[in-house]
Amino acid sequence: MVPVGPCLGLSAILFGIGLAGFLGRRNIILMLVSVEIMLNAVNVSLAAFSQHLQDQRGQILALFVIAVAAAEAAVGLGLVLALNRNRPGVSVENLTQLKW
Amino acid sequence: MATLAGQTAFYYLAAASVASAILAVTRRNPVHSMLWVLVLFLHVAGVFLLVGAEFLAAVQVIVYAGAILVFYLFFLMLLDLSREEAGPRFGAHWPLCVAAGFGFAALAWYAREPGLLPTPPRLATGGAPQGNLSSVGTALFTQFALPFEIASLILLAAIVGAVVLAKRKTHA
Repeated sequence: MVPVGPCLGLSAILFGIGLAGFLGRRNIILMLVSVEIMLNAVNVSLAAFSQHLQDQRGQILALFVIAVAAAEAAVGLGLVLALNRNRPGVSVENLTQLKW
Repeated sequence: MATLAGQTAFYYLAAASVASAILAVTRRNPVHSMLWVLVLFLHVAGVFLLVGAEFLAAVQVIVYAGAILVFYLFFLMLLDLSREEAGPRFGAHWPLCVAAGFGFAALAWYAREPGLLPTPPRLATGGAPQGNLSSVGTALFTQFALPFEIASLILLAAIVGAVVLAKRKTHA
């Protein structure tokens, strides 16, 4: 039985790495992957709390998080494909049409 | 499992997860990034095993590593990104981004102070303890049946949305 503290620390560090990657990368696909890393970090903390509190609900919430992550990947990559058709390239810095 | 072996396994998995996550967000080649994310997901599945969430570990390997990541890899190979790899990997504001990541991790680390954690109830487990898979499955199909069905609806909407978004417009 792993204590909950180190698990939460791991979750926080992974979330921080995902956040930095999401904000810093230029490739839009890798930004989506960073979002997946952040969702995974949240799942670690949910599973740790589920064990700490002896309650199954944390794991069930983590399962729903995985389902939503799959939906997010499908819609996000569909958007990237449509974007790539209109203007080739996946760099976010080229997408400035809404900027005034 | 407060044994030395459990502790060692946890710290190995944590260190490998952090290292592969850092490599995943910093590699130049997107395919290499994806493979490091695969390593990260497998190690996180190991962490799930250590905290007693066997079903979640299996779902992590099957759905995340097996389905979502393969989907991302297919997608990367669908687009031709050889030109993108030559440019800079990060925006000009990347030190701010790293600072934001560190700041968030530090805040969350502060918030995990033991005094702020709820105490475990230590309930007396009556009867034979159920396995993790059967208890999660029972809860999923009784108490959480409605959210489960809503999740399937969300996935259906995502499938239809992705097809509509990615469909080539046919000009009449």
